[in-house]
Amino acid sequence: MSEFEEPALAGLFPATMAEEDPGVSIQDQIRALMFEQPYAVLCTQGGGQPYGSIIAFAVNQDLNAAVFATPTATRKFRLLSECDHVALVVDNRSADPGDISHIHAVTATGRAVDLSNYDAEDHWQKLLIDKHPVMHDFVCAPSTALIRIDILRYFHVTRLQEVYQWAPQHPSQ
Amino acid sequence: MGPTAPFAVDIDRISLLGEPLMGGKAATVGSLRQAGLRIPDGFCITTHAYRRFVSHNGLEPLISLELGRKPLEGMRWEELWDAALRIRLAFLKAPFPTDMADVISEFHEALGREKTLVVRSSAPGEDSASASFAGIHESVLDVIGRDSLFRAVRSVWASLWSDAALLYRRELSLNPLTSSMAVLVQEFVESDVSGVAFSRDPLDTSAQTAVVEAVPGRCSDLVDGLIDPERWVLSRVDGEVLTRSVGKDELEANTRKLLLEKDLKMIWRILLRIESLIGNAVDLEWTGRNNGYTVLQARPISTVARDNDETRSWYLSLRPAAKRLKALSERVAGILIPELEALGHRFNEECLTDRHDNTLADALTERLEAVEHWRKVYWDEFIPFAHGVRQLAQYYNDRVCPDDPYEFVGLLKGENLLALERNQRFEQLAMTLKANPELFQATRTYTKDLAEERRYQGFLTQARTLPGGKQFVSALEKLLEEAMNVSYGSHRLASHPEHLLHHLIELAQLPTGQRSLEVHSKASSRMELENRLFSGVGTENRAEAEEILAIGRLSWRLRDDDNILLARLESQLLKAMDIALKRLSDSGRLEDSSGIAKEEDIAIVAAALRDPQHPPILLSREKKVKSNDLGNRRKEKPRQLLGQPAAPGTTTGLVRIIEDVDDLPNFKAGEVLVCRAIEPTMTHLVPLARAIIESRGGMLIHGAIIARELGIPCVNGIAGVLHLLKSGDLVTVDGFLGIVTVGAPEFDLEQVTLGS
Repeated sequence: MSEFEEPALAGLFPATMAEEDPGVSIQDQIRALMFEQPYAVLCTQGGGQPYGSIIAFAVNQDLNAAVFATPTATRKFRLLSECDHVALVVDNRSADPGDISHIHAVTATGRAVDLSNYDAEDHWQKLLIDKHPVMHDFVCAPSTALIRIDILRYFHVTRLQEVYQWAPQHPSQ
Repeated sequence: MGPTAPFAVDIDRISLLGEPLMGGKAATVGSLRQAGLRIPDGFCITTHAYRRFVSHNGLEPLISLELGRKPLEGMRWEELWDAALRIRLAFLKAPFPTDMADVISEFHEALGREKTLVVRSSAPGEDSASASFAGIHESVLDVIGRDSLFRAVRSVWASLWSDAALLYRRELSLNPLTSSMAVLVQEFVESDVSGVAFSRDPLDTSAQTAVVEAVPGRCSDLVDGLIDPERWVLSRVDGEVLTRSVGKDELEANTRKLLLEKDLKMIWRILLRIESLIGNAVDLEWTGRNNGYTVLQARPISTVARDNDETRSWYLSLRPAAKRLKALSERVAGILIPELEALGHRFNEECLTDRHDNTLADALTERLEAVEHWRKVYWDEFIPFAHGVRQLAQYYNDRVCPDDPYEFVGLLKGENLLALERNQRFEQLAMTLKANPELFQATRTYTKDLAEERRYQGFLTQARTLPGGKQFVSALEKLLEEAMNVSYGSHRLASHPEHLLHHLIELAQLPTGQRSLEVHSKASSRMELENRLFSGVGTENRAEAEEILAIGRLSWRLRDDDNILLARLESQLLKAMDIALKRLSDSGRLEDSSGIAKEEDIAIVAAALRDPQHPPILLSREKKVKSNDLGNRRKEKPRQLLGQPAAPGTTTGLVRIIEDVDDLPNFKAGEVLVCRAIEPTMTHLVPLARAIIESRGGMLIHGAIIARELGIPCVNGIAGVLHLLKSGDLVTVDGFLGIVTVGAPEFDLEQVTLGS
């Protein structure tokens, strides 16, 4: 027998709408944020103290790694050397500062790797400079370290409180 | 619009400033007054004032938050109504900036502080040839004094965010967030006769005629559909009267003409004048007769397709006027509910098993027709009457301006809902089990094994011999017969006593008072809230408040009861169907007796019953697909889901998805009940639940009502929740904020070591 309810706005709102999967891919939304946003907040820790720094970053196509550059004399470099567990926060709040419900944000968690000892450094360097050409000299300076973050998980937030988790694939997994 | 834009403008200056600042209605009446037509004195509070009021009170983020809770197109009407209620209350509570209040007061003073005013919406673009918001936005009549004026302006502004306005604006693809509204404040003018007039009859496709309608007294009675008007159709060529008709009230009184030939000529000339000024066919509201005619408002006749206009009418029907609700309350409570109840009883009394095939087929058909008839009544009359609660909500909030927009629900506590009465009987049976360990043990043993009919009878026989058993069995049978004789999905709950006994065992094991520990209710008593309402409306409006309260309470009670009574009727149809199928099966006229028959099969079944030689029939058995069978289409895991905060409290527990009758016996006390919607026929599960999550949203739907009554946290309106969660998931339900958190916080994934 049929179920009864108050008007579901027949013909305008399909009755099944509320049951449907929200549809828009979270992965696509994460991709858009990670490629469109130039900057992220890097979260590090040391001595039991969390620390945040703004960084210019780039991500690879698989979204399983991000890269940024930092002078080796900085606090964040030292903290990364002590503990490689990091998080990155990327958001679009500047696009519509008046409307908090339109903010998309993503927290990427993962492990930091200093690339100075790896052959693939050029590849990651190019990825970063392609996105931020103005930083060419900074990235290539001898006192700058190139850091890759292997991203293990994304927490995507919309409407202030709606959170989905997505774990990108890694070749070694 | 620069910072120098005025907050208010005299009606004689309106035509200089234009529609973006004045809105459509004010801009039109301003230009008509400028052209010499008789328009009441007044002033316009501009869209600039609206924007300043909104930014001064931080209302924009609040509106964004309410409308951004989920995609607008995914919100059901109930959810939009809830959002609109919260937004409206925020407007009503917001103070005017001092400089704006001073300006409005000056204009009010100049117009005449003691005069009776009418306060009308005037949104840019609201009345144009391509859209008509007639009746969608609010007008407030009989406004006297400064405080009433300020309150009226707030409620007119808030009507930009009513459920009907939001739906209609979306229908026209207008962005609600960029809307604004001016307000036209005018002296209230009422003559002997009032009415509406159309320079082109909107129903005449040949566009050769015009229409004038008139009622005695004020125009609002006509616009609200409370009085049938006297109606003239005029020729558009020369304004000659072609036909005259009278409303049924007038017909009975054998009629006097409200307007004479010369009056109609005068109105026709006014129509032509306005049509030439606006450059489009127009409709207008007027009042007058012996002392001439005053134009109250005029707007272009919309050229939008009729079905668009019907859509607008449908949105408007979502909130019937107070007088219609009163008439509905008398009909629903006095006639329809008793009829429905009596019919259910009659069907229940009828013994179908010893009927002849033909009369059994008659009974089946009669029951189907009855169910179809009462479903129509449900849509046409019960659902509109359900607005009685919403009328009370808005009335209470408008007068009391409480902190909590749902404070009014306290006024409804203690109403004798059938569902709650059933739950009380349910709890009493559980208490009997708790007090009698042998009976408890026997019942538990029975529910753990397969429950066939003969075993149920055996259980009853055994139970009667145990201490407390006789009374228990008698009360159980009575509960099954009287309260569980309802349909749930395609099943009769009364046919599954094992489910009921399973839930009784679960309830008997629940520690007393467990649920209420986690709820922090600050609810005031019913009496306190009544006093708050009556002092808010003042002695002069006490009778009105009492009537709205009575209608609200009746609507609240019947809203639940009508569903249960209808489910009883459906249950009787299912019972007849079961007997008919058995009859066909026994006589070799049914091919396959497994599965569940569908309502569409009834005609085939009745035909087969009427023909003893009928070849075996094959029914289109229902095939069930559960949400989780479809698999979670997302690769992403939900961590935190956002819905509507439907009943306060926070708690953590394991999910149990209930989609159909097969899931009922799996439900254990202390689990979080997750379903599409708690139907009135399954509310007996709610006392067992730690919390409730529903995909259907709304603060006044059944799940929310019962959860709030019982103090159980409830979050609803989470689209696709049956796909996103599965039985056994650990969730934390926050009924204060409408958030469901899935799983415990962990960083297990981050501990892995990756290759370089």
